[in-house]
Amino acid sequence: MPERFTLSSLAIRNLRRRPLRTTILIAALTLMVAALVFALSFVMRVNASIQLTSERLGADLLIVPTGARGAAEDILVESHARSFYMDKSIIERIRKVAGIDKLSHQTYLVSLIGMCCSVPESMVVAFNQETDFVVKPWLKNKLGRNLRKGEAIVGEESAFNISLGLVETETQLFGSPFKMVGVLDKTGSGLDTAIFISDDNIEDIIKNSDAKIKADQISVIFAKIKKGADAYKVMSEIENNIVEVDVVMRKDIGKSLLSALGDIRKIFYFTMILSTILSLFLVWAIFTAIANERTREVGIMRALGAKEGHVVKLFLFEVLVLGAIGSIAGIIVGTSLAVLLAKNFSILKNLPIDIGMLSRLLIAAAGLLFGTGICVLGALSPLNRLKKLEPLIAIKQE
Amino acid sequence: MSQIKLQNITKTYQVGEDALVAVQDVSLDIQSGDFISIVGHSGSGKTTLLSMIGGITTPTSGRISFEDTDLSAMGSDGLSEYRCRKIGFMFQFASLLPMLTVKENLLLPTMFVPEPERTYASKLDDKAAELLRSVGLLDKINAFPGQLSGGQQRRVAIARSFMNNPKLILADEPTGDLDEKTEQEMINFFKAMNRTEGITFVMVTHNSELARQTQRRLKMHQGSLQTLPSGE
Repeated sequence: MPERFTLSSLAIRNLRRRPLRTTILIAALTLMVAALVFALSFVMRVNASIQLTSERLGADLLIVPTGARGAAEDILVESHARSFYMDKSIIERIRKVAGIDKLSHQTYLVSLIGMCCSVPESMVVAFNQETDFVVKPWLKNKLGRNLRKGEAIVGEESAFNISLGLVETETQLFGSPFKMVGVLDKTGSGLDTAIFISDDNIEDIIKNSDAKIKADQISVIFAKIKKGADAYKVMSEIENNIVEVDVVMRKDIGKSLLSALGDIRKIFYFTMILSTILSLFLVWAIFTAIANERTREVGIMRALGAKEGHVVKLFLFEVLVLGAIGSIAGIIVGTSLAVLLAKNFSILKNLPIDIGMLSRLLIAAAGLLFGTGICVLGALSPLNRLKKLEPLIAIKQE
Repeated sequence: MSQIKLQNITKTYQVGEDALVAVQDVSLDIQSGDFISIVGHSGSGKTTLLSMIGGITTPTSGRISFEDTDLSAMGSDGLSEYRCRKIGFMFQFASLLPMLTVKENLLLPTMFVPEPERTYASKLDDKAAELLRSVGLLDKINAFPGQLSGGQQRRVAIARSFMNNPKLILADEPTGDLDEKTEQEMINFFKAMNRTEGITFVMVTHNSELARQTQRRLKMHQGSLQTLPSGE
């Protein structure tokens, strides 16, 4: 059966008539959508990492030495190795604050390549096993006992980095031999890149290495508050009564990172707005040229019986094809850039998680909608003018 | 009953601050199966009159009806349907779409026929081939307009005007680019279609020889229509 000649095949022919113009328009859309996809991927990845970290921390409040809030977030959100200390006696002062339910503390030790350890640079976290509610829930296989002196468990990425994979491997930390006896499940937070030891080891570490820490120092206190207690009130009370500490609420973890990112995001959004306006203008200009060029043809088609709706369908099909091709190309380019360039952005390089497939699909859908939407919007005015032209006037136009 | 009835039709164009009267107070009855020619100088209003009958422009005043239906009451889509189902246009300029082959140009008007009434694609292909054979261009069925001479393009446009089985052909200088022999062949084809299919023809021409071969001859002069006596 002969192939039916349709409006859509006519639209495709029209696009092929001016390959350079079609290519320029598609390229412009590709760049715009790629920029959008890249920016969204960047922002969503940062947000997702922060949200996940805060959700998985298991604590309502994070208490750190005054001025160390940023460093703590560096560790938890960005997996940077940092150390900061406060006096252990603060634990008891915090315990007296109304609304506090449980407290657990950790001490952060930075391992440096070639100086202390036989493993790549890592955060070594000494945690208190009796009070811990942050680390143990992530143990892949329950040890069934407390960590002994000279034993360590590692975050999932650390395990991969030091080629452990298998437990029961012996290595050197701060001049002391350590046996890796467990691996944590992937938490999606900075914990994934750390090595965990019991705080019983700190005394030996101080003796055997140059670690600048005293025996009665800790880095961070995690607090769970009582059911029904107001986290904000508890935080205020701690900060008002204990000047040596800063308190971060769970929902505020990553705020300093977000604030540091604020300007970058503004630049992204500003660039997006500019490129959107530019693309809109370009689509409008090109479709105005197309409409002017085809006015006579449209007049002839109208004289042969085409309704306004036929003209709209014909042009809309062209617009949608252009929009779809440009958007899909933009999604591919934007996603590729987001994945490839992530390694070049220090802020992304250290984020523990990537955005999931669902988020990528959502970003792609937003890109497709945005690209085709811009195309339709830009073509609307010339199309409206064209379809309303009286056929005789259209035919007479050169 | 008249097929086409024009009552006191006037068409005025606004050119700057001046009003240019293209057609002035024209009344005309056209019966089904008529073969009418309109002669007149350039700018006398022939094309405007034809365009108003075909519903591609509207009169400033007066009434045009087709089989008792007032064109002014049809609306934009109604006029499109009227042009699609009842009218076949032959323009005085090259009117083929350059990116379509000859066959596709012929099929173009059939795309605007509502889906349920559309003929099968294979029948349309047959009809396109048949019409191209009638105008002597079957061998050019897959050519693009750019590969044809002006006269050949004109003949394709003639064939296209018959694709939707029109009741009325509005032909504006349809043989302008044709040599004498081909011109006569086309007129013979028109006459045959008029005779066998009962299609009404209104043909604008500068060629008084051609006009003499039609049943009724009209003359446009400065927007007014006069009937020419036979033999003039």
